Amino acid sequence: MANNYGNRPSISPTTIVVAAVYLLVSVVGINWFTTFIPGIFPPQASAESKSVDELFFILMIVGGIVFFLIQGMLLISVIAFRARGDDTSDGPTYHGNMVLEIVWTVIPSLVVVFLAVISFNVWSQNSAPKANVNMVNGASIPINVIGARYAWTHTYETGRLTPNGDAIIINSGANLHTYIGQNVDLSLQTQDVIHSYWVPAMRVKQDLLPGDPRQGGRPTELRFTPVRIEGVVYPAEYPIVCAELCGDGHGRMRGAVIVYEDEAQYLEQFFEPAIHAILNPPADPVLRGEVEIQNYICNSCHVLDSLGWTGLTGPPLNGIADRAGERVPGQSAEEYIANSIWNSGAFRVPGYDQQMAAFGPDVVDAANVMTPEQLYSIVAYLCTQGEQSDCDMENSVTAIPDAIMTVFAMEVDITFGMSDDAAVEDGTPDTGAVEEAAESNAQNDSA
Amino acid sequence: MTTYIERVEKQKISDQRAAAIRLKNNRLGMNIFQVSWIMAFVALIVVNWQLRFNYSQWPPAGVPPFDLLLPSVATLALLFSSILVAQALKVLRSGFGAAFLVKWRLAIGLGALFMAIIVYEFLNVSAAAMATQYGNTFRLMTGFHFVHALAILAIMCRVYQGANLGKYSGDEHDSWAVEGAAKLWYFVTFAWMLFYVVLYWIR
Amino acid sequence: MATIAVPLGGGQSRQEIEAVRRPALSEYLRWSVDHKIIGVQYGVTSLLFFIIGGALAMGIRLELWTPELDFMVSGAAYNSLFTMHGTIMIFLFIIPMWAAYGNFVVPLQLGAKDMAFPWLNAFAFWLIPPAGVVMLLGYFVSPAEAGWTSYPPLSTLFSGDGQTLWALGAHLLGLSSILGSINFIVTILNMRPPEMTIWRMPLLCWAVLATSIIAVMATPFLAGALTLLLLDRMTGTTFFDASGGGDVLLWQNIFWFYSHPAVYIMVLPGMGVLSEVLSIHSRKPVFGYRMVGLSSMAIAIVGFTVWAHHMFTSLQPELRIPFMITTMIIAVPTGIKMFSWLGTIWGGKIRFTSAMLFALGFMSMFVIGGITGVMLAALPFDIHVHDTYFVVSHFHFVLFGGSVFAIYAALYHWFPKITGRMMDETLGRIHFVFTYLGFLITFFPMHIVGMLGMPRRVAVYDPAFTDFNRLISLAAFVLGFSTFIVLYNIARSYFHGPIAGANPWRALTLEWATTSPPPPTNFHDDPIPYEDPYGYGTKAATAYIEAIDMAFDRREAAPSGAD
Repeated sequence: MANNYGNRPSISPTTIVVAAVYLLVSVVGINWFTTFIPGIFPPQASAESKSVDELFFILMIVGGIVFFLIQGMLLISVIAFRARGDDTSDGPTYHGNMVLEIVWTVIPSLVVVFLAVISFNVWSQNSAPKANVNMVNGASIPINVIGARYAWTHTYETGRLTPNGDAIIINSGANLHTYIGQNVDLSLQTQDVIHSYWVPAMRVKQDLLPGDPRQGGRPTELRFTPVRIEGVVYPAEYPIVCAELCGDGHGRMRGAVIVYEDEAQYLEQFFEPAIHAILNPPADPVLRGEVEIQNYICNSCHVLDSLGWTGLTGPPLNGIADRAGERVPGQSAEEYIANSIWNSGAFRVPGYDQQMAAFGPDVVDAANVMTPEQLYSIVAYLCTQGEQSDCDMENSVTAIPDAIMTVFAMEVDITFGMSDDAAVEDGTPDTGAVEEAAESNAQNDSA
Repeated sequence: MTTYIERVEKQKISDQRAAAIRLKNNRLGMNIFQVSWIMAFVALIVVNWQLRFNYSQWPPAGVPPFDLLLPSVATLALLFSSILVAQALKVLRSGFGAAFLVKWRLAIGLGALFMAIIVYEFLNVSAAAMATQYGNTFRLMTGFHFVHALAILAIMCRVYQGANLGKYSGDEHDSWAVEGAAKLWYFVTFAWMLFYVVLYWIR
Repeated sequence: MATIAVPLGGGQSRQEIEAVRRPALSEYLRWSVDHKIIGVQYGVTSLLFFIIGGALAMGIRLELWTPELDFMVSGAAYNSLFTMHGTIMIFLFIIPMWAAYGNFVVPLQLGAKDMAFPWLNAFAFWLIPPAGVVMLLGYFVSPAEAGWTSYPPLSTLFSGDGQTLWALGAHLLGLSSILGSINFIVTILNMRPPEMTIWRMPLLCWAVLATSIIAVMATPFLAGALTLLLLDRMTGTTFFDASGGGDVLLWQNIFWFYSHPAVYIMVLPGMGVLSEVLSIHSRKPVFGYRMVGLSSMAIAIVGFTVWAHHMFTSLQPELRIPFMITTMIIAVPTGIKMFSWLGTIWGGKIRFTSAMLFALGFMSMFVIGGITGVMLAALPFDIHVHDTYFVVSHFHFVLFGGSVFAIYAALYHWFPKITGRMMDETLGRIHFVFTYLGFLITFFPMHIVGMLGMPRRVAVYDPAFTDFNRLISLAAFVLGFSTFIVLYNIARSYFHGPIAGANPWRALTLEWATTSPPPPTNFHDDPIPYEDPYGYGTKAATAYIEAIDMAFDRREAAPSGAD
């Protein structure tokens, strides 16, 4: 109501003194508040984090003023205007004050506009596309992130080719490798549900949205640029967290951003060794299998201590070679393992009711494409997981391919085993075309 | 002390007042319900609208657009049915019972015709359309509308039954059931007009 | 101005007044169309669900005592904990609890004999118990685990039958909410006495009106979303399945178009309660009555334009900015309320009753939720803390520090009217201290863990946050314990509390111008409202209050209730 009828509430000198003291306290208090700011943020590891933290600083000052103003007014009211003793009288009949009401409508509006403008500035600065993204050796290489329940996979399309013409794609698993000053631009895709890729130290977050695999999925983008933090020893590691509920293992869906000091260190410690490993796969199928198996999302559902896997939805792979021969009557250990990977619906381990994703040479989901050679090396590797392996390890070079061929009645003209010079094609498929198939419910039944 | 006559008079006045308030409440409640529940239909229009953006064209490539003739006939039938309902209500207010029954019956018949056509359309969505959201949202929207139309047509039939027995007079306090059913039928018509435009005309 | 309004038509005898007694327990257990019975039915049902939801919250805090998964058997079981906690607290506690107060108080404040549609009112209530049971039945199959927001495809392709039951339950609750709200709007617009213009209506009615408008306009969207979810789950449609041309953001849009306004459905009635309680217990008119009433409407309208701030990390980047701006704007009407309340108590004669303490607690806690709300609206900062404990903290400051504190304030304020007995003020104060401190220490540190990097909805977290989480858990147990104080207080006061009399708080609104509890027809005659529902401090007001006291034969000097 507009009219100032009735008596104004009286303000005693004590109230004024209290208010003055309080004003002083709040100024000191807000100052004191802001000293906490660095302590309540993760390290400022990206260019974006600096502007976000500055924005927060302003929000904190504005919020602090509002906080101390209102709490202070409350405190003063509670002390100064309490009904004393047996005072049963009423307060003054004071219905409002137009000027005051306009003031407390207009000032917050202006503050809000101010905050919106500075937030907009920070946002347009942080979200603007950058030139020269993902530069490695002077070339821009696409970096893809795949989220699957419950693991991250990072792949780098290096643009180089193996001697037999396949693209070299580095797979660094749950960790993203970058270096100070690299303009990182990630393309994110999910294989199943919505995930959210969050790097607290970089102050960036982006959801991964399921899209139509026939239309190349629904890639989303995330950009940040790591910066140097004084006093940190490089390479430094910052956690990646899944921030959108994705199911049972949501809390365990983690990874790390590994920031190298400069491009030289990045090349020397990560990039070149990774390419070298792809170009020179070990002759031993077991060693190759150990690399290959980590290019798939098996870790999201299975436990395997030797590789540090902690997945829970599928049966554990620890000691699988000891059990594999007894699972299905008539199938040898090799046959059983191969069958349960390529033909995952065939047998379901008691107690595990969810079907594993499909893997094979012609599955819909490009990330799950698995050639006979890859299957061979993976079976060979899994055959080593056990004390008294049921597998025919003596003759693995012939026994396992034979087993695979028996199971699938394959007509493949591939020579299993390794010739010394032939560099085997890299196992990771072209992740640029990774597609999401909702039914690729990465659950397992095998082992 | 009040006399018996006075008390009866007082009671009469308060009964009339209560009836007036009841009618006022019913009318406002009906209006709010109409505005409120139309939002559920709007929500489905939003669904249709947002899913269109997943396709480069609408109807999606390779899907023949729906035939316009039958649904337009159905829409006209529904529209006429609503007009008849409005007329019937007017007739009732001026006290012509028989004319009311004729118009109301015709309105129910036209409503049934509308629903028959919609059921036919619902069942005859092409397989190509059903493979996309074009057919999916069509069935969602027509199905959702059908459930409402069916329920409200049932209410109209009940009202017809009652009117046949002479339950309603021209007095508006006495015939809220008729008015309410009519307003629900307008609602069905309005909701369908929205759907008709979105489903058939906006490409 | 000069004439002294008389609250009652008069004419009822002392015998009639004494004949008013509390309804028998059995009346609460069966179908009744009396709004007061229905109000209590709503209240008690909500309270039961509050206890269940609170127990689930204690389970969450037990699990988070260590950074590993230990208390619960699996991550999925933990997910069902917070899913059911959120769903129960929102749909089965706060929203129906406001329906409880709305039902009991609003017709009384309007001087009406009942709600506009008594039968519909009872029907809306009786949808709630079966809905709650359906939802809880999920525990016998596989409870919903996709969070209360139930984002597909997690809630469609990757979850069990409990999710279907969840959606069915939510569907029924939505229907109940729509029917209840239609009833409130019609009651408030049509059933006021002729003397009560819309600008003389108590502010609780304003708030319930605004809330109901939101509910009738937004809840059908929830119905639409749940229908799609059920179809996707049960009939194999692909509205949310990208591989069939569907879109996961479709759910987020439609769901949040309801669920953001639902936040105001949960907090606006609380704001109405605040206006009542602060004014009555500081014996001073509400400062800027019109602006307080209108700001409810402003919040209701702007509240419809902000939904996509829940999708800041999934929406196309270009669309985020407009929602940032609308979200920030909503701080302005909220601020108006806050300042008006301060203006209300400023210079008053504050009585520290339990109701007043909780109202003051609301103000001091809600302001934190408001500030963090503006912070979250700031898009670049939100990107960092989206879906973290910062958000958890924010909405608990709004929904616990706001809504639940207001629910407690309303409980202490209207309990005498509902039962005819006063609540124990000492226990009330103890309850307040435990709740206030327990709440603050539980939820304030969550801001910090969120900013430091702890996402929400995780059972397993970075061991670096263990200390914070233990502090939070300990405080949460204190907060949980504080609930038992008020439950004990309710039970004890119901039987042994001092007789309240018609108007223990010496208030001017009409619900106090009848016996406590009111007779089945509420008033013996058409009551005449005082010209200004909050016009304390004038002779006329005092005379009106005394007239109430006289009418109900309470000639002794009216105590103010406390202090």
